[in-house]
Amino acid sequence: MKYRNITRKEVLALEKQGCTAESWETVYVRDPFVLDRVRHVRFSGVNSIGVLNQDVQITPGRSEPSGLYCSSFHNCSIGDHVRITHLLDCSCYTIGSHTVIHNVGTLAVQEESTFGNGTGLDVLNEAGGRVLKMYDRLTAQIAYLLVVYRHRPGLIAKLDEMIGRYTEGKRSRIGTIGPFNRITDTSQIINVNTGPFTEISGALHLENGTIAGCEEDPVLIGPGVEAKNFIILSGTRVEGSVMLQSCFLGQGIRMGKQYSAENSAFFANCEGFHGEAVSLFAGPYTVTHHKSTLLIAGLLSFYNAGSGTNQSNHMYKLGPVHQGILERGSKTGSFSYLLWPCRIGAFSVVIGKHYTNFDASEFPFSYISEEDGKSYLTPAMNLFTVGTRRDSRKWPDRDRRKGPEKLDLIHFPLFNPYVADKMVHAAETLRKLSEQADKARDFIVYKGIRIKRLLLKTCSQYYEMAIKIYLGEGLISSLFRFVGSSLSVFLPAGEPESGPVAWCDAAGLLVRSDEIERLVHAVENDEIKDLEGVEKKLGELYSAYEKEEQAWCFSLLGKRLGKEVRQITREDLKQIVRDWKENAVKLNNMILKDALKEFDESTKIGFGADGDVTVRDADFLAVRGTFDKDKFVMGLRQECQEFERKAAEALEKIEQIKDPPLHCHHSREYAVQPG
Amino acid sequence: MEKIEVRSRIKKVISKVLSVDEQAIAENANFVFDLGADSQQSLELVAAFQEEFNITMDEDKAFSAQTVSQAVDVISGYLN
Repeated sequence: MKYRNITRKEVLALEKQGCTAESWETVYVRDPFVLDRVRHVRFSGVNSIGVLNQDVQITPGRSEPSGLYCSSFHNCSIGDHVRITHLLDCSCYTIGSHTVIHNVGTLAVQEESTFGNGTGLDVLNEAGGRVLKMYDRLTAQIAYLLVVYRHRPGLIAKLDEMIGRYTEGKRSRIGTIGPFNRITDTSQIINVNTGPFTEISGALHLENGTIAGCEEDPVLIGPGVEAKNFIILSGTRVEGSVMLQSCFLGQGIRMGKQYSAENSAFFANCEGFHGEAVSLFAGPYTVTHHKSTLLIAGLLSFYNAGSGTNQSNHMYKLGPVHQGILERGSKTGSFSYLLWPCRIGAFSVVIGKHYTNFDASEFPFSYISEEDGKSYLTPAMNLFTVGTRRDSRKWPDRDRRKGPEKLDLIHFPLFNPYVADKMVHAAETLRKLSEQADKARDFIVYKGIRIKRLLLKTCSQYYEMAIKIYLGEGLISSLFRFVGSSLSVFLPAGEPESGPVAWCDAAGLLVRSDEIERLVHAVENDEIKDLEGVEKKLGELYSAYEKEEQAWCFSLLGKRLGKEVRQITREDLKQIVRDWKENAVKLNNMILKDALKEFDESTKIGFGADGDVTVRDADFLAVRGTFDKDKFVMGLRQECQEFERKAAEALEKIEQIKDPPLHCHHSREYAVQPG
Repeated sequence: MEKIEVRSRIKKVISKVLSVDEQAIAENANFVFDLGADSQQSLELVAAFQEEFNITMDEDKAFSAQTVSQAVDVISGYLN
């Protein structure tokens, strides 16, 4: 990369081509320098120009010569084979090779900048107290610790310190436009760094930010976008006049159609269109597509907002100090309203307007509805609705992240230790409430929400059904990976002393709570000193999920059988498999019945608009097809057949395991095939 | 228990849960189309039948009863 001064002869030629310089002494070029490709350019300060002797692709099939045309540069370092035309003011930038810039007003670093790194976001609580300092490698899990673990000031101080150090490493008076960028028709880009292969097309104003794309997963910033204080990671597309003020957008996000957001963080695969977000912690797969939807001061993940969803964090007393949680997989129906503070359990559905504060987090898979202005909880009902099953299948397939590094750690299983633990406790709570409830009453009130008395016992049974399925699935997956021959080696140690340990859902990462506590402790005590260390530990916890889940599952099995894990017998295992098959088929049948509703007479309303019943039915058939041919229905039926096969195989495997003296050997190192 | 008694008690339960006139509940009335039961009310009906007859119904079977007469058959099966 040898640069040289421009010769006198070259200066004269350049001046003849309309170029000027504050001083030609401080304009450096690299050979072969093609004079012809620098025209009508103004240089000031110190500038260097790379080799400009290749063509640059403008659009597929159309190339133009590289070069600098009708532009102005101040203290810039320009890479090889770039084509820059009509860039009115480019100050203090290093521009990567093969980049195209056309019709841009200002591209400038105006003062020393950290390019959005270290900017604090008032996430989750609009009034502050949970400031999330963003940086261009922020993960959902580190953000979760920073926002949720405020009760551990030592942890927060250390993490902030680490982010501070990282941010200082980004501080510069010179910005970077990565190689292979395409920046066109944009008004202002101030104090913004871009990674390789970034496309910015028609943006209005971008200020104080980092766009960290990569070749495998570039970032697109489209027309009309305004963003101030932001970080946008790989694979994300922001277009359609989106307005961002102090926002973090992680990997694989789609945002457009005038969406506006402030003081919010969005993590992997979120989608935001039309609506508005304020102080939002949008964990992975948070989706809001509709107009008049305000998501404010919430902690969410795998969440879907219906149109007109609204929340209030302000009671006109001490300001917007309230916050709420919708646990993983929740949905809010059209025009639903929640008055924070409020907490909704995992995979639940909220319908209607709720004006009281309640905590329904103990009851996953619930329906929360409104009758005469009162909030009602129907526990477990969402277990056998078709939507839940569809959702759980679509998420892994919709992971858009293509880059070499997936920053957010996401576990997808619908049934997992976190949710199963909740179901175990919910079943017990409902059973007790049922026993205690006055039969003359129509409902009981639990943690601020009404539950119809009649449902207490029934819904407890539904949770029991799901628990049996979960345990069976856990056992069968262990059996299919088991390569040893003895039951004692097969059975993991579990947690015989304390029973199944608690788990948490750290913005997509399902992890034992005591492991998170160990991580927190390690950071507080300087055993982990930097962000790489935190990321590494979180990565280990992510990878340990399968093993830990199996241990937890067996521990729960032992608890329910009233035995220590090592005392579980072959007959116990067989019964678990039989229970699994029976309940899994039953649940699928219930889901099929729910799906069948989509094909009943009432759903044909609106079909065959200009005809009679025959036309209506024919129209319905043409558009919707039949229940039996529905892809999802066929899949569920196929699954039921597989349950039979799997159960038979599992029972055979159990039969093959030799029965050793179970008490003589007990090891946590159980044999499983890798992967 | 005679089916006639089962039917009568079932109608009483339906009337209470769905807030419909007991006399207006036809033998072959469909819970959803004719009596207007939504998903949550369907759950409530199952729970109410269980309590009324002191039985525990299989979830799958319980939801397969779409009409009053089908419910009578399913519940009678548990009672006899």
